Amino acid sequence: MSAVSASTAAVIVEDLVRTYPGGLRAVDGINLQVAEGEIYGFLGPNGAGKSTAVRMLTTLLRPTSGRALVAGFDVVKDAASVRRNIGVALQEAALDPLMTGRELLELQGALHGLSRTASRARGADLLGRVELEDAAERRLATYSGGMRRRLDLAMALVHEPRVLFLDEPTTGLDPASRSALWREVRLLNDEGTTVFLTTQYLEEAEQLADRVGIIDHGRIVAEGTPDELKAKIGEPALHVQIVDEARLDEARDLLAPLGACTDHAEHGVMLRTAEGARAIAPVVRVLDEAGIEVQTVEVEQPSLDDVFLAVTGRPAEEAQPA
Amino acid sequence: MSQRQYLTTQVRVALALAGRGLRVQLRRAQFLVPSFMLPLVLLGIISSGTSSAAKLPGFPDTGAFVGFIVGGTIVQGTLFAGLTGGIAMAADIEGGFMDRLMAAPVSRVALVMGRIIGASTLGAVQAVVFLAVAFVFGARYQGGVVGIAETMLLASVSAGACAALASAIALRTGSLQLMQNLFPIMFVLLFTAPAFFPREFLNSTFRAIAPYNPLTYVVEGIRAALHDDAALGDPLKGLLAAALFMAASTVLAVLAMRSRVRAS
Repeated sequence: MSAVSASTAAVIVEDLVRTYPGGLRAVDGINLQVAEGEIYGFLGPNGAGKSTAVRMLTTLLRPTSGRALVAGFDVVKDAASVRRNIGVALQEAALDPLMTGRELLELQGALHGLSRTASRARGADLLGRVELEDAAERRLATYSGGMRRRLDLAMALVHEPRVLFLDEPTTGLDPASRSALWREVRLLNDEGTTVFLTTQYLEEAEQLADRVGIIDHGRIVAEGTPDELKAKIGEPALHVQIVDEARLDEARDLLAPLGACTDHAEHGVMLRTAEGARAIAPVVRVLDEAGIEVQTVEVEQPSLDDVFLAVTGRPAEEAQPA
Repeated sequence: MSQRQYLTTQVRVALALAGRGLRVQLRRAQFLVPSFMLPLVLLGIISSGTSSAAKLPGFPDTGAFVGFIVGGTIVQGTLFAGLTGGIAMAADIEGGFMDRLMAAPVSRVALVMGRIIGASTLGAVQAVVFLAVAFVFGARYQGGVVGIAETMLLASVSAGACAALASAIALRTGSLQLMQNLFPIMFVLLFTAPAFFPREFLNSTFRAIAPYNPLTYVVEGIRAALHDDAALGDPLKGLLAAALFMAASTVLAVLAMRSRVRAS
């Protein structure tokens, strides 16, 4: 559990469980909190329980046990208030292919109680925001995957929600569309929207999320900021390359007091230290004072890939669909 | 939000969903064919192939034979309008669009009513189209404008009832494939009502079943309204049967909608 204060939490989840008929415990007692204005990355492989958890938080599925508050409202006891305060962009952009972008936005406005005039105005604003004005009158069947995702996001924003749930928003998108969506999510977050982002892409979590929860087999197996998670599984490494290979042993001895030293490669020493990039200056100074010429110094942080491997026991590539 | 504001919002939502349902129905060829083409094809086949039945003793005199059977065509249209509404709902469930609707602050009743109102509107439109086509082929309506209005009302409520029943099945099963396989059952409902022949002309089994089929009273009521002939049926009884059918089906659909959240 993070140190988010309950009074400022946009999402509070306590011992949430969902068991499907047949006994499958898709979500197995998760606890988490998301602060107002935070982007929380909910990371896990297919079948880990991400979507089931999100369906409970968005009132689409009743928990078997446990409690969840979203925007301050209980997802079971006050589901209508939860729905008024959340925006939901679900997996694979479930949009009616026979409707136009404008029709869908206006329908979404009506669903959230906007008058016809207000729906039209808000729809036009949002179409501009996601750069779909030119496609507004086209049926969804003619939209590309990226356009659908952008419209899906716009629909989730019609009523200016406090908490936005994005369920795998960039799955299947090309890199350019993915980057565009990431920019939009950051912008929304800058405007104060709390974002609960489920993803199976480590890079996406790393790029967007303030904090990350990793779920596997229905349980949260790790949680923290990307840096905290990476720090938990190991210290950053400095790869120091020197010009004169003959002085490699001497360099290693000189650097030993600064961290754990091993030979790295030809002309190189690897120094593991919690100081990370802050150790560059002392390393260069020590070697320089000894007259050892440094060729390059590179800092390698543990990646979320490493975290994922450490906590789930398998690499992220194996967990992701082909 | 006051109770009045809440109700106004829910009505607006139901109307918006009805509009969406109608638009999608008219844009999807697979829905247009059963809603409009199949009933007209059957009207053509029965009116030309079995017209000599009108000469049988005891067959009511409604002028052209097509004027008698158009009531059955209208009821067939309402069945298909309802079923395609249910198919569209199953498609929404399988495609995930239903989740979008259910994640909005909308009452479950409004979600069901949107589908029912859409089908009801379609049922009324179909009735006008079928009456016009039958008129071109010789049908005449002694009931005049009032009879046509009563027919539209009966068609509308009947289509809404069928849509509610189909929606209940769609919500319970969530299966598009199952919904598409329900077409034969629609024909059972159609032919166990005196859709194309007077009740007395049905065989004993169908005649025994007919009083328990609400569509019996709807089709007889339509005929009575169109031809202004109380001997053919009772529009009020037809409306009552359709309304009871709709009320029961709507309750089933709303219960199915509520249970989806718990079970899905």
